[in-house]
Amino acid sequence: MAAPLELSCWGGGWGLPSVHSESLVVMAYAKFSGAPLKVNVIDNTWRGSRGDVPILTTEDNIVSQPAKILNFLRKQKYNADYELSAKQGADTLAYIALIEEKLLPAVLHTFWVESDNYLTVTKPWFASRIPFPLSLILPGRMSKGALNRILLTRGEPPLYHLREVEAQIYRDAKECLNLLSNRLGKSQFFFGDTPSTLDAYVFGFLAPLYKVRFPKVQLQEHLKQLSNLCRFCDDILNSYFRLSLGGISPAGQEMVDANLQKLTQLVNKESNLIEKMDDNLRQSPQLPPRKLPTLKLTPAEEESNSLQRLSP
Amino acid sequence: MSKETVTRINSNYQQNGVSDGAAEPWPENATLYQQLKGEQILLSDNAASLAVQAFLQMCNLPIKVVCRANAEYMSPSGKVPFIHVGNQVVSELGPIVQFVKAKGHSLSDGLDEVQKAEMKAYMELVNNMLLTAELYLQWCDEATVGEITHARYGSPYPWPLNHILAYQKQWEVKRKMKAIGWGNKTLDQVLEDVDQCCQALSQRLGTQPYFFNKQPTELDALVFGHLYTILTTQLTNDELSEKVKNYSNLLAFCRRIEQHYFEDRGKVGV
Repeated sequence: MAAPLELSCWGGGWGLPSVHSESLVVMAYAKFSGAPLKVNVIDNTWRGSRGDVPILTTEDNIVSQPAKILNFLRKQKYNADYELSAKQGADTLAYIALIEEKLLPAVLHTFWVESDNYLTVTKPWFASRIPFPLSLILPGRMSKGALNRILLTRGEPPLYHLREVEAQIYRDAKECLNLLSNRLGKSQFFFGDTPSTLDAYVFGFLAPLYKVRFPKVQLQEHLKQLSNLCRFCDDILNSYFRLSLGGISPAGQEMVDANLQKLTQLVNKESNLIEKMDDNLRQSPQLPPRKLPTLKLTPAEEESNSLQRLSP
Repeated sequence: MSKETVTRINSNYQQNGVSDGAAEPWPENATLYQQLKGEQILLSDNAASLAVQAFLQMCNLPIKVVCRANAEYMSPSGKVPFIHVGNQVVSELGPIVQFVKAKGHSLSDGLDEVQKAEMKAYMELVNNMLLTAELYLQWCDEATVGEITHARYGSPYPWPLNHILAYQKQWEVKRKMKAIGWGNKTLDQVLEDVDQCCQALSQRLGTQPYFFNKQPTELDALVFGHLYTILTTQLTNDELSEKVKNYSNLLAFCRRIEQHYFEDRGKVGV
């Protein structure tokens, strides 16, 4: 695809390319399917758009919402699900529905509704990336939207109080995490050895939960106990997002290789030298071993000498 | 029975699935309450009610269906259907499945952990896409709302109550649609989502008789409830049922369950 694909989304932190779940889903999918995506991080200027992030812009299209963006990428032949069977494709849809129903409310709550987390972590982070005076309004609006969504979808009677809803949604989220962990088992990705859409979605929702430092962390603690999910997130971060994180850039990687080459050459040279020295030693004429002069005493004199010394 | 005790019991099932009446066997006079079948009940409620009926039939538990105009208000969670068993009232398929399990009947005991996860995931898929699409069609599509929904929803009540209740419910549903991001969807996009969902269900079912091969589970009951209702309900246009009719194995699936569990009600077992 010749036309440049530009994605505008929220930026990264805590080791992640993006802190926003939906943006992360799109970025991960783009990496898995090999789509050349130019990422525009929303920053403090007025140029960035703030509406329905993430947004993909091409020459003639503007696509919003992760599901639509993924569909668009698939139509442009960037398909990460190429090797999946029909049943696995169906499973993908089902698990995504499970994540949206069971896990998303708790993630929203952890980020936007839990007041300690919101006031100390989420609000300052987002506000620093939105120009004044929107930074006073927009985070609050996002928080209210999250609370609304939780209450409208889960806060039905008899759970009238937010506290009861909280208990229920965290219970559901922990169960969902357990189910995902069971499903992943010991394999590297959810469907075999190559990552697919489901991996992108799971990564997008789990990675912020895993990496962002919160004061109130009950869901994070639960996630950290499921070691295969943590390994899954770390694997994807290391293999697909390491290069753009400023850890080791491609040029740096080459330097490391060059250094390694030099070292091996040095070692080789040294061992060559040692071999040569060995050869030299063997080939040079061998001197006979030197005889040390020894004192010769007759046996009788020895004894008398020793006896005389002993008597006072 | 006071509303507080009722709400407490229902939330109990939602929380830990252990009931106080676990020791009692299933009584003969268990009843299921839904709205009036002919004039009042809507597509989504009918689907939910049929799903529960199918589930109980699959467990071989007798249930009597009673239609009441105010079933929605009698229900502890505001949703229909709800069942009245002994001195307990439980509503919605999820808590009912847990309640029945506490009494010792379960359809999904034979599944391993991965299969149980799959089953839960597919049930969420049906709720997320099919149920939401049904709600959208009933309450956000102006043609259907005007011709069918308003008239049916308020039919047992006198004027002006029928209009007020209908508008109130419509406002509630529209608010929920907006919160989950369906507010801006067009009817075509919703139908496409239904198609995707049916395709996923069809691919998962394949050529098996039930979703988890030989034995039906609550997933089969839920899917049957929704698909059968979509196929047999007359709406302003047939697009929704056309989407389902595209998949022949789903049609065969519905026919099979209908024959086994609803027509041969006297027979024991599958």
